[in-house]
Amino acid sequence: MTTTTPKRLAALAFVAALAASACSSSGSTAAPTTAATAAATSAPTVAASTAPASAAASAAMTLPEPVSATITLQGAGATFPTPLYNSWFETYTAKYPQVLFNYQSIGSGGGVKAFTQQTVDFGASDAAMKDEEITALPSGTKVLHVPTALGAVVIIYNLDGVDKLQLDSQNVADLFLGNITKWNDPKIAANNPGVTLPDVAVNVAHRSDGSGTTNAFTTYLDTVSPDWHTKVGAGKEVQWPVGQGAAGNDGVAGAVKQIPGSVGYVELQYATQAKIASALIKNADGNYVPGSTDGVTAAAEAIAANFPADARQAPIINGAGPTTYPIASYTYLLLYQDQTDKNKGQDLVAFTTWALTDGQAMEAGLGYAPLPAPVQQQALDSLHTITSGGAPIWP
Amino acid sequence: MAVASRSIPASLVRSGADRRRALIDRLFRSLALLAAVICVIPLFLIVAYVVINGIGALNLDLLTKAPRALGVGGGAEAAILGSIQMVALASLMAIPAGILAAVYVSEFSHRRSATVIRFSADVLVGIPSILMGIFVFTFLVLPFHQYNAFAGSVALAFLMVPIIMRTTEEMLRLVPGDLREASFALGVPTWRTVLSVVLRTGLPGILTGVMLAVARAAGETAPLLFTALGSRLVNVGDWSKPMDALPIFVYTNARQPIAALNEQAWGAALLLLMFVLTINILVRARTWSVRSR
Repeated sequence: MTTTTPKRLAALAFVAALAASACSSSGSTAAPTTAATAAATSAPTVAASTAPASAAASAAMTLPEPVSATITLQGAGATFPTPLYNSWFETYTAKYPQVLFNYQSIGSGGGVKAFTQQTVDFGASDAAMKDEEITALPSGTKVLHVPTALGAVVIIYNLDGVDKLQLDSQNVADLFLGNITKWNDPKIAANNPGVTLPDVAVNVAHRSDGSGTTNAFTTYLDTVSPDWHTKVGAGKEVQWPVGQGAAGNDGVAGAVKQIPGSVGYVELQYATQAKIASALIKNADGNYVPGSTDGVTAAAEAIAANFPADARQAPIINGAGPTTYPIASYTYLLLYQDQTDKNKGQDLVAFTTWALTDGQAMEAGLGYAPLPAPVQQQALDSLHTITSGGAPIWP
Repeated sequence: MAVASRSIPASLVRSGADRRRALIDRLFRSLALLAAVICVIPLFLIVAYVVINGIGALNLDLLTKAPRALGVGGGAEAAILGSIQMVALASLMAIPAGILAAVYVSEFSHRRSATVIRFSADVLVGIPSILMGIFVFTFLVLPFHQYNAFAGSVALAFLMVPIIMRTTEEMLRLVPGDLREASFALGVPTWRTVLSVVLRTGLPGILTGVMLAVARAAGETAPLLFTALGSRLVNVGDWSKPMDALPIFVYTNARQPIAALNEQAWGAALLLLMFVLTINILVRARTWSVRSR
């Protein structure tokens, strides 16, 4: 708790300024003074009333706290962050026993759908909602994208005797386009000097269901290969030129594991879990890098300064930097901008604040890359814009 | 033995044409036997595979602990209790409805309306279960903006009703008309005849249908995904909240990149398989004993 205090203070100063601008727009005359004193005095409304008195002197107390009533927060969506979210929920409920969570991993598409139909308190998706998905929201409903973590898409393969495989972007595209049909193709050999590649046919495995993983991977292919761009394109579901479909990351991992000569793509954790070899991919700086949380963090940090204001960041493809891994993407919590139930809203804001600060420390151990500082800051700031009945929950 | 006696006796095989017929006969009989074996193999493979993978995860923790994020130290308590509750409520709704519908069709309806109802029930049996889920979702989940266990039970009940109705009706039709007439001749009113003579005679068969319907409902994932949703919290008796079920538990945990959760999914799959197999075996044992009587 103490280690993050400076960060929180910095967050707070920014927050106060933001709160001031928010207040002034709603016509409050107290706004200018609030900006100056918010850091020193207690924040008004709910946060102050539920904060423990012992923390009154510390700046940390202005972090929102959950209400004392027992509340269950219902969420559904992306499969990829499930272990992280469930671990967060468990830790948070241990800290605040009155806040219970039920998160169901029904897929990113399902998460967006449930959010749109308002059958959940929060949604989750590995891909930011598209413009048309946002337009499809019921009138008066606005979505707030809160980035929570990053993941990497790795290219897994099954080649006897090849422990280390290097691929440049052109070869990745050619494999998935069906242009390379044998593993001992000279183009692949050119990436792997000194490696004896077997004379084995290439078998492509891809997702059969719509997924954020596919979105990130096809965005990569779409970016690096003009051929892919004209023939296939990017999205959660695409028309694959070659290969066989399998459901879920686990399905693709299983298919690759079973059929020699296979190549496929999965989230990093699934490759680690299934103990399948993954290729080193040539990044923008010309280095071959393995899929890792460090490589993803590097990718995120390289573009963090240009993070979109609405947080709807596309997958990060070929980011600059010597250690940057070229296929990285954010995963999001989807929150309602205006909370109909004020207590639920308070708990959601309190939890999300915790997840974005203390919660970040749990990410690396579970195979996720934590948010870069500027993105974390922006996400925290955005929580102040969540309202209930027109008034901000965390002013 | 019975099969062997049906083959052509060697003494009758004389001409080449006869030999060819005998050969073809043997060929097709072995093909049919092969097909029969192929049909049965998957059952044994499935049972063996689930038992091998699931037996290690089948322990007290799985039965009594609430789910944990990373699996370790957790179990399928929420799913087991959820399955029991939702299938029980679904049975409460579906068994009386199914049996009464069958009584109506077999005892009271006109031939034409009986045909229509019977046909509708047959169609209903064939409807993919996920459509039941979506149907119930639109009027029990969407209006309330809340996934709930009650909706899950209703979806399961919709699946069970036609099964119960059709099997019950088949059983009632097997009850000899003489019994009904004998009852009427003694001056027993129709309702009493149905209750004490017709239903009573058909009871073993009706029970069979009910048990098969329960087994079917317990094993269904699709109708619950949109209705009860599944839950990581142990939910006892709160029908307005999401509830877990064993098939959902298997589905979600099998897909996680965490070995402990995958193992629990296998354990839960084995539990489910044991439950369904037990019911099926009980049903068979019952029909065999009825037949041998």
